[in-house]
Amino acid sequence: MDDNALTALRLSLQVASTATLLVLIPGVMLAYLLARFEFRGKSLVSALVGLPLVLPPTAVGYLLLEAFSMQGMLGREALGFDLDVLLTWKAAVLASAVMSVPLVVRTARVTFEGVDPRLEMMARTLGHGRLATFARYTLPLASKGLLAAAILGFTRAIGEFGATVTIAGNIPGRTQTLASAIFSAQQVGNDREAYFLLAVSLSVGLSAILVSEHLARRRPLRASLPSPGAA
Amino acid sequence: MSAQTQAGARLEVRIRLPLDRFELEVDFRTGHQVTGVFGASGAGKTSLLETVAGLRRQAKGRIRLGREVWLDSKSGTYRRPEERHIGYVPQDGLLFPHQDVRRNLLAGAARARRNGGRLEETFSSVCRLLELETLLGRQVSTLSGGERQRVALGRALCSGPRLLLLDEPLASLDLPLRRRVLPFLRRVRREFQTPTLLVSHDPAEVQALCDELIVLQKGRVIARGSPRQVLTDPKVFPLAEEAGFENLLPGFLLSSQGATSRVRLGSPVSSVQLTTPRLTARPGDDLLVGIPAHEILIATRLPQGLSAQNILPAEVTSVQDLGGLRLVRAALAPDIPDLAIEVTSQAMSDLQLEPGKPVHLIIKATGCSVYAGREGKGEAREKHENLSETSRN
Repeated sequence: MDDNALTALRLSLQVASTATLLVLIPGVMLAYLLARFEFRGKSLVSALVGLPLVLPPTAVGYLLLEAFSMQGMLGREALGFDLDVLLTWKAAVLASAVMSVPLVVRTARVTFEGVDPRLEMMARTLGHGRLATFARYTLPLASKGLLAAAILGFTRAIGEFGATVTIAGNIPGRTQTLASAIFSAQQVGNDREAYFLLAVSLSVGLSAILVSEHLARRRPLRASLPSPGAA
Repeated sequence: MSAQTQAGARLEVRIRLPLDRFELEVDFRTGHQVTGVFGASGAGKTSLLETVAGLRRQAKGRIRLGREVWLDSKSGTYRRPEERHIGYVPQDGLLFPHQDVRRNLLAGAARARRNGGRLEETFSSVCRLLELETLLGRQVSTLSGGERQRVALGRALCSGPRLLLLDEPLASLDLPLRRRVLPFLRRVRREFQTPTLLVSHDPAEVQALCDELIVLQKGRVIARGSPRQVLTDPKVFPLAEEAGFENLLPGFLLSSQGATSRVRLGSPVSSVQLTTPRLTARPGDDLLVGIPAHEILIATRLPQGLSAQNILPAEVTSVQDLGGLRLVRAALAPDIPDLAIEVTSQAMSDLQLEPGKPVHLIIKATGCSVYAGREGKGEAREKHENLSETSRN
């Protein structure tokens, strides 16, 4: 078997799962905030969250590079110590995480918007506080959509290339993911390896889709509710 | 919280709430077990209920149950919905779609336990009273409309509420089903004795359930009193008539023969009997007979050779002008509520109707509708409804 390719696959899976876990909880909280509350600067927050979706990934990578460089906002001079992010697997995680934020937050937000706020009200009249209502009613009601958000975020992270090479580089065995490995193989004309990596990518992507569809079918959560009458 | 201490709790509502087209301005105190708020749709009834539930924070004023202040905008007091210990039953039931019937019923169980209620006992009596035993394992999406409303009501009762808030509990149901679910509400009223605020535009519902009625029109209270008195008030009657007013009389089934049934009206010792279309209820079952005000004829002498099955002696108690039409009230017996009868002004003067005048009331058996709640009856109907709901989905 191709050692290089398997390492890249393993690293890709590691990076993507870490990035998804990193994004999921704050992303879901933010999505709920955006779905349910009106506050000042909401549209700005919403726009910032969506930014990685419209910027070239290399631009996002460059911004991150600037932030984590010696003189950057999160660099050694500002913090007083070195986070040691650049050109490591952490950088790859960071790049994938940032790139998957818009997909996770948007999907989760739409999901929360689809949960009838009157059901949450109902839970509160039955004695559940805001937090308990969120945990016991909102989350289960939104679970399908949130799962979809996580899977979308994960697949986006697996496919991340532009921002990752910019900030983490393309070092075989350390920061070379599937995406960058395909790029390298193609650059040096190693068709055999490129095809193999392609096949691996295809099977990973396909299984992600199949798994998500299976989960979506298993529990029909959003039964139709009769609409409330007037007055 | 025992039923005894609950029953005495007075509800005080004095609020102003700006709505889309007018301001809701309501001021009442009530110590009755069931207080009804009656009005056409769009009168502000649901907004009132949601304010009492704590779901609308824009309201100004004061809300109090017993000694507990829920809202006082002067002192800035506001109790959150979860702190009000209410049992809220919205129009559409709002069951939790991700839980089965049992878990829905127990959604407020934690609070009931915190309040020291005997949950197991309450749960089993709710299941028995609302006939929910066979539904416990069902998914909410498979329930029919009537079943949904019963589960929603049961869920509120199982949460150990100090105040029940019912928003048009029958409005989402069709007429036959309404007749079937109403007796469940009467049972709950009798067995739980929880103070209740009920919002409705259905004259039958408020007559069957309320001790006192408050009529709301464009956000203002326009009448208040006992349901029968208020509904036949000249200001309110047109509203009630539009919503299908019926005289609602409590009674017992005596027997069924052929195509008809005999019903004793009023208390078990009353002598007034009525012939109705055949009922599937069992002899001895209590029920409610509905007779629309325009389905009753008045005769000053005992008529003969009539097809109508019921000719009942009565006495006129009052006459009211509704503008063109007159509303005559007549008493059948002291233990039966007065009947409201619609007549034209012409007939009024021809018959010289006035309080104290003895008359005969003529009621066709087929003019009577009966509200009876019994397992068995209506089951076929529920099944049928299930089917049609499935085919709709």
